[in-house]
Amino acid sequence: MDYHFIFIQLFNGLILGSIYVLLSLGLTVVFGTLGVVNFAHGALYMLGAYTAYSIVTLLNLHFIVAILLCPIIVGVIGILLERFLISKLYKLPHFYTLLLTFGIMFFIQDAIKIIYGPEGEPFNIPKFLDGAVNLGFVVYPKYRLFIILITGFLAIGVWIFIGKTKLGAIIRAGTDDSETADALGINISRTFTLVFGMGAALAGLAGVIAAPTQDVQPLMGMNFLVETFVVVIIGGMGSIGGSILAGLIIGELVTLGIIFWPPMSTTLIYIFMAVVLIVKPRGFWGRAAFFE
Amino acid sequence: MKIFSKYTFWIIILALLFFLCLPFITPYKGLASQMLVFAIFAMGYDIAFGYTGLLSFGHAAFFGLGAYSTGLSLIHLSIPAPLAILIGVIISSMIAFPIGYLSIRRRGIYFAMVTLAFAQMLYFIAFKWRSLTGGDDGLHGVPRPPIGPINLSSEVALYYFILFFFILSVILGIRIINSPFGKTLECLRENEQRARSIGYNPTRFKLISFVISAFFAGLAGGLYALLQNFVPLFSLSLDTSGDIVLMTLIGGMGTLYGPIMGAMALIFLKDLLSTYTNIWPLFLGLLFVVSVMTFRKGVFKELKERLLKF
Amino acid sequence: MMKKMAEFIIVLCGVLFWLVFPVRAADTVKVGVVSVLSGPLATIGNGEAWSAEMAVNDFGTVLGKKIELVKRDHAYNPGVANEKAKELYEKEKVDMIVACPNSAAALAIAQQALLHKKPFISTSAGTTDLIGKQCNRYVIKWNYNDYMLATTVGLWGAEHLGKKWYTITSDYAWGHDLLKHFTAALQKKGGIHVGNDMVALQTADYSPYILNAMKAKPDVLVLLNVGPDTTNSTKAAVQYGLKKTCKIVHALLFEPNMKGAGTEIFADDYVAGSWNWRVDNPGAREYTEKYMKKYGERPHFMAAAVYSATWQYLEAVKRAKTTDPEAVIKALEGHTFRDMFANPGYIRPEDHMQIAKAYLLRAKRPEEVKEKEDYFEIVGTVPAEEAYGPAGQFGCKMKGF
Repeated sequence: MDYHFIFIQLFNGLILGSIYVLLSLGLTVVFGTLGVVNFAHGALYMLGAYTAYSIVTLLNLHFIVAILLCPIIVGVIGILLERFLISKLYKLPHFYTLLLTFGIMFFIQDAIKIIYGPEGEPFNIPKFLDGAVNLGFVVYPKYRLFIILITGFLAIGVWIFIGKTKLGAIIRAGTDDSETADALGINISRTFTLVFGMGAALAGLAGVIAAPTQDVQPLMGMNFLVETFVVVIIGGMGSIGGSILAGLIIGELVTLGIIFWPPMSTTLIYIFMAVVLIVKPRGFWGRAAFFE
Repeated sequence: MKIFSKYTFWIIILALLFFLCLPFITPYKGLASQMLVFAIFAMGYDIAFGYTGLLSFGHAAFFGLGAYSTGLSLIHLSIPAPLAILIGVIISSMIAFPIGYLSIRRRGIYFAMVTLAFAQMLYFIAFKWRSLTGGDDGLHGVPRPPIGPINLSSEVALYYFILFFFILSVILGIRIINSPFGKTLECLRENEQRARSIGYNPTRFKLISFVISAFFAGLAGGLYALLQNFVPLFSLSLDTSGDIVLMTLIGGMGTLYGPIMGAMALIFLKDLLSTYTNIWPLFLGLLFVVSVMTFRKGVFKELKERLLKF
Repeated sequence: MMKKMAEFIIVLCGVLFWLVFPVRAADTVKVGVVSVLSGPLATIGNGEAWSAEMAVNDFGTVLGKKIELVKRDHAYNPGVANEKAKELYEKEKVDMIVACPNSAAALAIAQQALLHKKPFISTSAGTTDLIGKQCNRYVIKWNYNDYMLATTVGLWGAEHLGKKWYTITSDYAWGHDLLKHFTAALQKKGGIHVGNDMVALQTADYSPYILNAMKAKPDVLVLLNVGPDTTNSTKAAVQYGLKKTCKIVHALLFEPNMKGAGTEIFADDYVAGSWNWRVDNPGAREYTEKYMKKYGERPHFMAAAVYSATWQYLEAVKRAKTTDPEAVIKALEGHTFRDMFANPGYIRPEDHMQIAKAYLLRAKRPEEVKEKEDYFEIVGTVPAEEAYGPAGQFGCKMKGF
């Protein structure tokens, strides 16, 4: 047993875990508040990567600009989608938004393919984050450390926002009991729009951050879509802490699977989910599920 | 739901005519057969989903089980096709019991995810067990043994063979829905607490409904194996499960005829679109968006309701 | 209301009828192309479809009949490929199907070819099962196969690149087939296989596998994957500095994907190929320039293979003076030809494998790239018999006629 090596792999599992955390944060917030199963989440992630590509490569701006701008751009797209399409279906059973977001996903992915071409775009690690750092136990790529750090900040940020700010309280109120909140004078529809925009922005940010490490192509969101849902379910719908914890655990679980039995590594996720749900029916800290 | 008026009689005649002519209308006969196969699958799925409220993301498991069981029996056991299909149906229904039992304890989206998990596990097993299933090459060489004088190698003959099962399934489906059992399912879907208070055991009803839908899925799978002469691993995939959810939703859940027409329309459209353009996912996506925004309850359900208003 | 329903159905039938009945000009020769025309691997498929189109146009007419081309997208899915093949053979009544990347899809089409008794020329799938246990007389394997890829680079690499090899394999039929052949080739030259990782298709993050590889300290890292998986694995290898200590060998590498990923990450990598646009075959330069003028980029080797296969099929029809499948197949078996793709190429009657010289290619560094798609340097060649091995070695027992 090479413990040193296993430790390096586990440390590396934090990267995968971070991507899962970033993606599932956006999804769980939307899930928990609006009850919307957003299949287009992966497509929004991909849009984040593509806007980053456009900003950095086509417009020749700095990567930092992309990190700041892209989430805003994708967030706005999300807001538009919510305003004009998704909100019209709130009164219907939740299955319909499922269908709608599915259609949106197809549309966005193919539109990008038509505009940019199917082969993908090159996106390399920005120069100032390139290279490796000696952490003592391993020489580790700087950029991947960056991913872990940013995810950490973001996770804490979202937690504080939802948990401790007034706006966050409004969102939580809307989630728990939208009718009462509405009766108390809170503008629910505006809150929902905001939350969806936030979820989209988080997905877009995940896309920007992941872009240098992956193949930027129109279907890149599909790689993560199902697993992100699984993470959200394990953590519990609507629970931010749950998403963070579940994301990290899943990242490590997959990595462990790779060490010990590679073919099984993705299946492990599903087994783990089945086990969790049997023991804790709503995930770690989930609230009453929609569709119940 | 079904009031026997003279309208119904004419609708049935027209529908029969339509199905009898279908293989000659579609671009190729295999497409018509495929449409029926998925119609059976979707109809069965609607019993669990539309009538009982069980949203399953893992129904491809039963479709695939039926397909592989039927395929393997035909290859290794040299038995007549109907018997092989029976085997497929039995196996998928049997496996539905434990899967259903474990999943039904959970509700709503959590239930959906557990079914998804089981389907993924089955996919993994089929993928790894290459010596049995062919892995991701799929199971090749599924024969079509003749039934007495009828040679099933002809696509037309196979279509009518499948049509026979389709009609049987529809009749069976309608009887289930209209029976007291079916009514109880609807009652459960609307308000489970109340049903429980009257004395019904929701778990048992849900489980039976789940198994019934698996029965139809397995039947569809077995017919699919015959149709394709091979079983692709794709039959067990999440995409297939997703497709059936979409077909049911688009058609209009909780109607039986809605998912049937939804399935047929979707299969046909996918084929048509992919023949004429490379950007067919774009059109398909657009189609979903438009149809959901305009036909809120599902295309065919809304069409029927609007037509009835005349 | 009933009348409206009835009218609606009648109109629908009428529309369908009109829409879908093929208007087939009396007496044409129809060629069908089934390939991946959507998704990230569409760059392969588009090239193949374009090439087939060019071949059909360039050939003009055969036996006095016009030549028509029909394209279908199988979206890299064997089930869809099966259905499209059925549609093409039955409804469109194509005389021949060509292309089809994805080994499982090719096997499905091969079955349909046998069932419908019409030819299928598989140019783009690698599995040796097509010339082995799943062979049949209606299927001809053109271009490369997994054995040739592994052997060409394995034999040369074990001598020039190093002895310790680590493989990262995509976990599906094609990956397994490649791995089998690579390990065999390695052993022949005394190489050591120090480890392997099976990776699920479309994995985004290859870092755990690269870390595994680094632990084994190989001389050569072999990436048995294609498309986005190739990009992701190579990117990860570069980021972890693995490229500084070992050479990378790929199973397949396409110019469009390299451009899409950014050619720097592939600098000094090696791959085997059956063709490259710089190759000195009769008509290769003309083909390349014409393709570039029409489609804006230079062709990759799959595209060239499709052009050659389509052309040779039409030549065979001319020789046999008929489109009857058995006669055309017989005209192709044992035939030697010289064209832009293979100089010469030979179709082995024992297993229907089209063999030709194989090339060793090195991916250029960005500063060496002088023009569009000039991504490779030819560093070696391997004669056909060595690259493809003995005829019938995969146990082909011809069925069909």
